[in-house]
Amino acid sequence: MYAVLHPPNFSTQAAAKSQPELRRLPFALLDGEAPFERVYAANKAARLLGVEIGMTRLQVESFAEVVIRPRAIDDETSAQLSLHEIACQFSPRIEYVDRYSGTYALDIQGMGRLFADSAQLANKLRHRIMAAGFVANVAVASNFHTAVCLACAHQGVSVTPSGEEAAAMAGLPLHVLGLEPEQEATFSMWGIRTCGELAAREEKSLIARIGQPGRRLHALARGTWSHLMLPMEPSFEAGLVEHIELDFPVEILESLLFVLSRMTDALLVRAKEKARAIALLRVVLLLDDKTRYERIVRPALPLQDTPTLLKLMQLDLEMHPPQAAIVGLELHAQSAPPHRAQHGLFLPQAPEPGRLEILLARLRKLLGEERVGSPELTDDHRPNAFRVVPFQPPVPLPAKGALGKEALTAFRVCRPPQGITVMLQGDSPFRVFYEGQRYSVLEVAGPWRVNGQWWSKDKWSRDEWDVRLCADSLERVSRIAFDPRTQRWYMQGTYD
Amino acid sequence: MGSAAILRVEVERGLADRVPAALTPKIRQAPELFATGLADVDAMLNGGIPRGCITELSGNPSSGRTCFALSAIGSITRSGAACAWIDVSDALSPDSAAAAGIQLNRLLWLRMTSKGNANHSTKEKSLSNLDQSIKAADLLLQAGGFAAIVLDMSDVQAQHASRIPLSHWYRFRLAAELARTALIVLTQSSCTSSCASLVLRCESPITETFSRNGETALFSHRQYVLTRERNRNEGPSVPFKKPSSRAEWDANTAWCGVR
Repeated sequence: MYAVLHPPNFSTQAAAKSQPELRRLPFALLDGEAPFERVYAANKAARLLGVEIGMTRLQVESFAEVVIRPRAIDDETSAQLSLHEIACQFSPRIEYVDRYSGTYALDIQGMGRLFADSAQLANKLRHRIMAAGFVANVAVASNFHTAVCLACAHQGVSVTPSGEEAAAMAGLPLHVLGLEPEQEATFSMWGIRTCGELAAREEKSLIARIGQPGRRLHALARGTWSHLMLPMEPSFEAGLVEHIELDFPVEILESLLFVLSRMTDALLVRAKEKARAIALLRVVLLLDDKTRYERIVRPALPLQDTPTLLKLMQLDLEMHPPQAAIVGLELHAQSAPPHRAQHGLFLPQAPEPGRLEILLARLRKLLGEERVGSPELTDDHRPNAFRVVPFQPPVPLPAKGALGKEALTAFRVCRPPQGITVMLQGDSPFRVFYEGQRYSVLEVAGPWRVNGQWWSKDKWSRDEWDVRLCADSLERVSRIAFDPRTQRWYMQGTYD
Repeated sequence: MGSAAILRVEVERGLADRVPAALTPKIRQAPELFATGLADVDAMLNGGIPRGCITELSGNPSSGRTCFALSAIGSITRSGAACAWIDVSDALSPDSAAAAGIQLNRLLWLRMTSKGNANHSTKEKSLSNLDQSIKAADLLLQAGGFAAIVLDMSDVQAQHASRIPLSHWYRFRLAAELARTALIVLTQSSCTSSCASLVLRCESPITETFSRNGETALFSHRQYVLTRERNRNEGPSVPFKKPSSRAEWDANTAWCGVR
């Protein structure tokens, strides 16, 4: 058994609800981009004056009494939400009818315990809708499409007993079936104007003349076309929210962990019911100074583990504490399919994803955000250019015989380059003072001029020398550089 | 059976409820070894550096410590395992690491930073970095999952490194054993005391003069020398031939072949 609520001329009703002054006036809603706007909807008073759907702005402006308003999608969305909420109060299974704006179909099978009969349910539904400020037709029938057609065609409440759908449909005009323009023209030519007249035709001859759509139209007119209901379900992601208000302001984060743990547990239970894990947590702290403080915790892999998520939130909040006492908490989660990895007995050692997340968070807290990660070489002319990216080791592969590479002398970089004193002999260095030590230059090669970014204000330039230094028994091979802009010598690094 | 053996059996039987095989030496299995990628060094070390142990490598600047560590880490990351580099002086060159064959996405690089007052002296910064590096090493070893961790204290002065309490090294040794991680410590002079299973010393390298008429490429055929001072994982059996305790390897610079 289905109950269908249909608010006729839904767009104008939505506009009149948001702008009550329009109720007593003839008005038209225009849609489209200027100057090609056309009439999208008009209320009854405007239509009586002659306004028609599809008219241009210029044509409507010729009606002096008609008020013109642009179509407001937000108003329609808001109105639709109101109708949705009302429909949800009468049945847990509802479906939105796409063909007509604002129209909902309710599966009322088994609602007899709450409502005496279908007629009472339909009347209460209509009263509730009218109390919300809308005018709607409500039709009840055991066939989905029959109920939709009746709601569109009959004003008020119409209840059709089971088995009498054909009789109820018989008097309805054909346009309620949602005909194509060609089909409408064909039926008009044949002299068929009501559903009853269409149902009286033989099905096979109808199919022979207009093809397979004829079978559907014939069944619709008789009230026997079946429908697989696809009830709307509340958005799972939107439901992954937990919030709590505290009795008194809290300044110590540790005391919030108990509350956060309970909230995370509740979110995880919901996520696990759908075989999903938590991929992102948005922690919203409502502060004592009436502001909101947000932090986002995004584990590298979706997790189903409360202690890990809790630890990540704790470390993040400790690194970025709020500036005022906390009076409320909101926890928003985003779910994702849980991470699955194929383990193997012979795979190389790799950090466990959950523990690695906490480890990295702790290291970030200890050293700083940009001091933890994997180095990545950048395509830059500047020597030793790199950037640090988050450490996400790829899935370990079965160990193969690692091929030995030729050993290369490593370079240890001075970050930042340290100022040194250099004594020159001719043009080349022959003595270097570095870290309180006096080095004699045994060998020297250079200068190698390197520069870059000369087209911008970030330009850099230096003359580099590779030198073998000796002080007492200590020997080191280093790279020193002369910066012509600052006229200073720097220690760039040491070969090791 | 001698009287000592009988006595030992009696004592063990008496303590069997509390301490099984109290007086019988624990059978130690030879640890798994990671090849360093340097053939001569691997031959000297009977296969490479031990897993689950501390390997200490000391030496002066420019003696090849970083070259050795990069080569070892490169070899391990190429086998598919993850490694970490605790950089006390923030001196690692990613260019050198990539040239040594390290898969950079399998390397966790921790760069120590001197927090606080910018006017702090070099000594204070060094101690602050050292403190951070010890904490970071502790966290990494406790978390496990890394095949090798390099604690790079190459630029830390010996007197500062020797201040690290011995208890830290004992804890690291136990944690490395449990996590099956090879902890490689690079220092200027030995500071891990008896906790290191393998102690190596980098001697002064032999450098070919590079400014000789411009004919010799810069730093070509730089020969590093490594001396083994201790290897606790050597087998108990008496070898037929005395194992070599010195290895040499040649290292070039990346630009040597581009002449």
